[in-house]
Parts: sequence; C-alpha cells; structure tokens
Amino acid sequence: MRLLLVEDEADIQNFLRRSLTEAGYQVDAAGDGKTAERMAVESPHDALVVDLGLPDEDGLSLILRLRNLGLHAPVLILSARRSVDDRVRGLEQGGDDYLTKPFALAELLARLRNLVKRTAVPAADATRLRVLDLELDLLRREASRSGEILNLTPQEFILLEYLCRNAGRVVTRSMILDEVWGMRIQPDTNVVDVHIYRLRGKVDADGRRPLIRTLRGVGYVLKDR
Amino acid sequence: MDVDRSSGRFEVSAMFSKTAKPKMRSAAWRISMWAALAFACGTMVVFVFLHQFVAGDIQRRTDAWLTGEAGVLRDVAARTPKEWLSRRVVAEVAELASREVPYRKPSGKTLNDSVFFMQTAADNSVTLWVGAGDPAAHLRAIQHSRIAADTPTDIEIAGFDTPFRVVCVVTGTKGNIYLGVSERDQLRVLGRLRLRFALLWLLIVCIGYAIVFLTTRRLLRDVREITEAASRIGEADLSRRVPAPRRKDEVGHLAFTLNRMLDRIESSVHQLHTITGSLAHDLRSPLTAVRAKLEMALTARAKDEESESVVSAIEDMDRLTEFLDRSLDVAEAKANALKLHRVAIDLDDLLRVMIDLYEPSLSEKGLGVQLSSAGRLEVWADTALLHRMVANLFDNELRHLPASCTVTISLREAEDNALLTVEDNGPGFAPEVRAHLFERRVKGPDSNGHGLGLAFVDAVVRAHGGTIEASNRHIEGARIAITLPLNVKSGGAVSTESALASH
Repeated sequence: MRLLLVEDEADIQNFLRRSLTEAGYQVDAAGDGKTAERMAVESPHDALVVDLGLPDEDGLSLILRLRNLGLHAPVLILSARRSVDDRVRGLEQGGDDYLTKPFALAELLARLRNLVKRTAVPAADATRLRVLDLELDLLRREASRSGEILNLTPQEFILLEYLCRNAGRVVTRSMILDEVWGMRIQPDTNVVDVHIYRLRGKVDADGRRPLIRTLRGVGYVLKDR
Repeated sequence: MDVDRSSGRFEVSAMFSKTAKPKMRSAAWRISMWAALAFACGTMVVFVFLHQFVAGDIQRRTDAWLTGEAGVLRDVAARTPKEWLSRRVVAEVAELASREVPYRKPSGKTLNDSVFFMQTAADNSVTLWVGAGDPAAHLRAIQHSRIAADTPTDIEIAGFDTPFRVVCVVTGTKGNIYLGVSERDQLRVLGRLRLRFALLWLLIVCIGYAIVFLTTRRLLRDVREITEAASRIGEADLSRRVPAPRRKDEVGHLAFTLNRMLDRIESSVHQLHTITGSLAHDLRSPLTAVRAKLEMALTARAKDEESESVVSAIEDMDRLTEFLDRSLDVAEAKANALKLHRVAIDLDDLLRVMIDLYEPSLSEKGLGVQLSSAGRLEVWADTALLHRMVANLFDNELRHLPASCTVTISLREAEDNALLTVEDNGPGFAPEVRAHLFERRVKGPDSNGHGLGLAFVDAVVRAHGGTIEASNRHIEGARIAITLPLNVKSGGAVSTESALASH
C-alpha cells in the first residue's frame, strides 16, 4: 500500500510518516501543494492523506486539481477547522473521508483502512458473515455463536455486523457512531461503551472465548484469530 | 433574557427567536382615512361659512328691493288720491315690481305667485290685492305676526310651502301697504348652491383621500421592502443589503442607516469568524503535534507503567479540544454566526434513532425514557447541529437525573412549529442555576461537565429561528420546551397523513 501524505507541519508529518510506516504503509510525504502534485503524477498511490491548510494553496483545490488529472485514489482530509464546509462534505459523499485535528492516530489508521478497503473491494453481497465461531445471517438478521442463536435487538445486530465487517481492525467510537447511527457527534457520556458492553454481554457470555476487545482510549476490535 | 420570578418560571426570548410574525396590515389605509377626515372637516367649515355669507347677501338684497319698492308704492299711493286711479296706478306698479323680483326663474308664469301686494284700509279690510291666492289668508297671517313698519319680516302663510318676506308701509289714514315676496326662489338658489357645494366637497375629499393614500402607500411600500429585506438578511446572508430608495427623505435615510449598521454587523461577524477560525487553527496545530508526541511516547513504551499517565494526558487533551470546539460553537451561535446547512429532517425519526442510542446508557443508570410522537414531522434544519443538540439534552439528563426517574420526550406540531419537549420527574432545576441555565459555564453544584451543554442547545435553537424555554414542572421535575420552524415545503399535511398511516 502506497500513501501520499501532504502535511506542512514538520512535527505532525514526521509523526504520521513514522506511524503509517509502522502500520505497514509505504509513505511519500510532501510539505506543499506543488511537491504533492509532482509526487502524485510521478507514481500512483493507493490513498492520500491531505491537510487542508497548506502553505502554498488550499488543500481542497489541490485535491480537485489532482482529480482533474485523473486521480482515483481515495483521500483522507485533515482539517484544522472544527466544522468542515460544504465542499468537504461533498467530497465525503464521493467516497472520501475527513478528520478534524487533533485526531487520534488509531482513528486515522482505522479510517484510512476503511477508506482503502472501501474502494479496493466493493462491499461483498454475502448473505452470511463468519468470524471464528460467530456467524451472522444478514437476511434473517440472526446472529449465532457455535450454532447457538444470540438474542440480539435489531440495533445490536447492526452494531455487531459493523464489527464483523471490520473484524481484526480497530474501530473507534466516533466511527461506530458515524457508521451505525449515522451521526458525527461527540457525546459527553459513554453511550457507545454501554452499547458495546451490552453486546459483549450477549456475544461473549457463558464463559465463551471473548471476541470483543477494548483498546483503551482508542476503540474496539472484534478478534478474528 | 426575561426573568419572571413571580410565576416561578422564566423564558428565553430573543428578537430573532420569535418565529410567529404578527400579521401585517398596511398603515396606509389608516393614515389616509384620518387625513381625509381632517380634510373633510376643514372644507366643510369653509363651505358652511361661505353658505352663510351667500344666504345673508341674498337676504340683504331681497330686503333692499322690498323696502325700495314699498317706498315707491307709498309715494304713488300718496300722490294719487283718486280712489280708482290710485288703485290702477298702484296695481301697475305692483305688477311691474313683481316682475323685477330678484333671483326669479326667468321662465316664470306672467302672473307669478311669488310676489303679493296688499293695501288695507284703516279698518283692516283689504282695499287692493295683487297676487296669487286668497288675500284673507295673507291678511290673517300678517295680523297674526304683528309686523313692524319698514322692517322686512318672515311670515308663514297658509297654502304656501315657503315663507314670505313681507314689508309693511304705513300710509297714514289710508291704512297699510304690504309688499311680500316668496322666499322660494331664494331657497332654490341656496339649495342649488348647497348641492354644488356637496358635490364639490365629495370630489375634493375623494381626490384628497386618493392622493394621501397613494403617497402613503408608496412610502410605506419602501419601508415594507426595507423591513422584508432586513428580516431576510437576519436569517440568511449578511452580505445582502436593504434596497435604498433614490429619494433623499426619511425612508431613504432609514435604508442608508440600516445598511451602514449591516456593514458594521457584517464586519464584526466576519471578524468573529476570522478570530474563531484562527484561534481554532492556531490552537489545533500545536494540540495535534502534542497529541502525536504523546501517542508516540505511548507506542515507544507500550508496557511501561507511565503509559497510564500518558493515556490520561491524551484524554485530557481530547477534553480540552472538545471544550474548545464547543466554546467556539456557542460563541459563534450566540453571535448568530453559525453556518447552517439546512435540509429537511424528520424529527420523529431523529428522536427515535437518538433514543435508540441513549436508551442503554439511561437504563444502565436506572432511568426510563418514553417518546410520545404523532409521527413524521419535518423541520428545515442542520442535521449535524440537531444531532448534537439532542445528544446534549440526553447527556444533560444522564448527568443530572437521579436513578429511577423517567425522561419523557414528546413531539408535536404547534402552529407553524415543531414542539419538542423533554420532561423528567427528577428534582428539577436548582434555583441558583435556573435563571442562567442557557448561559455559558453554568452548571449544577454537582455537575462534572463543562457547562456548555444547554448553552449550546440554546444557541442551536436560536440559530434555527426557534425558541427554547426551561421551567420546573408543576409538581416535580424539569421541562425544556423547544420549538423549531417546520419545513415549509412539506408542512403539516404530510405529518398528519403519515400519522394516520402509522396508526
């Protein structure tokens, strides 16, 4: 996986390059729009991470220019503004994603993985999802573990389905809120944790091997091995 | 904020938070009505005065003629002693005189009934009579009215509609001579005058009314256009300006002043945007860098005991960021500078999703939640802001409500608004908090939040042109009532239909 990272602040660029490299990506880093454009044209990338506040131009116009040059790779936008404007929301509908600064690294990695996966493999239309001994029947909206039906509410099923589709990957609370409830909010209270706690009570009950793992300060993982 | 302590509740009201516009009725009608009334009274007074003057003049001229003719008749009667001749001459003079009556209709009959001449002997018997009708009736009327010599007097005579103006000439031993002229012609002339006056008066008043009405309406139309433009500017685009009439009068000046005020507001809002924008940006970049370094430290010493404090430092940073965001949101919203991306949102659906999200947390704390809603109800609002607003309301309940209470949420249509109420049966708002509930940094004595939750709710509601009202319920518990303007395109019809469908 080759990434193009466009970020002008040296500290953050260094940190991101290191972290992304550690996460297994091959990273090209650029500090301004011109360099970024040159790099993007020279070699193809699987995804871009672009900061909106670049010294020589607006990150958004860079993205639009690259798109006009035939760039198809998904873009994860980093914005220092607290609410992103319409143009960014428009891009989000086109398959891209955004994060506001400051962000959690796990959140960035999770969203990036989500983005690459989304574009690389179109969502499989399987009617069944299987993670270890957990099985989800998407048509009958039923989940079972080792053949034993779990008594889930519709909402819990959707949450579990989301975790299953991202099995083995970290999903953050805000990703869960975004994908399962369709809202970008940051509640003061631990609403998501309570949902996960309840779900875990049903999925991992009766001395079964725990599948849902909490990563403190980051999010959750559904173990797949 | 208007605090009404006597009724134990308070309301938050702002100029722009009232959506129910008073029905506008043009003042042009009223102004021109009063103007026309004043005009009518004035001209009426002038006409009455003129009428009196003309009537007096006619009277004077009639009297002058009467006394003059009576004098001639006395002279003739005195110089012609012979009885027969005397009669003859007097009759002719009388006949002549009767043709020279002032204000007579030219096409009158030869022997007119508007003039009479009567001579009486000393014993009050009629010796000479020229005129129409019965001389006895005339004599009776004259004797009855005790007429003074040489003074024209009004006398009503039986058989005639109009009174006669009569002058009496005393001719010594020969008795009296009476000359009378009917006031009919005089009254007719005055009547015609009055009719013309009335028509003219009506015409003038109508024209005056029309002129005043048209000018006032034009003036007020300018004012109304300014008002409408100004109200649109308030809710939408600050870069717009009210239309400035070309005339350099008060209205033109009003538009000019408004536009100058808008210039200032726009520049302050722009400044606020710049400040909050740069503040957000300037603080965010170092925060991002610090957070990144902390995360690096965390991965470097993954199993270290110090990682615990690094994690809590990261959590503190996240809280700081969240606080920064909300403060800026509330500041912008209070200054009416929130950028809204409005779409049609079904509040019913939004509430159901939100309850779904919060129900486990609530029941974990031993709280119940109920929704009473008639079904689909669309508002025209910013989805992200509404989500956060409702989340804040729930967070507020989660934080403050003691166990085994119930939160009741109800949604219904009220006039042109969606009315959303959140009630609980907890202890209610503490008195020291209640009056300043929607202000920044106000929190209950045992709160651990940052005190921006309800201030943000208030700001969002206001930004949408809605109202918010918090009160303690009659018996127990708190109540927050929020109105949001309905989506105009769908309106109430859709909501009732779907309400029926859902039953």
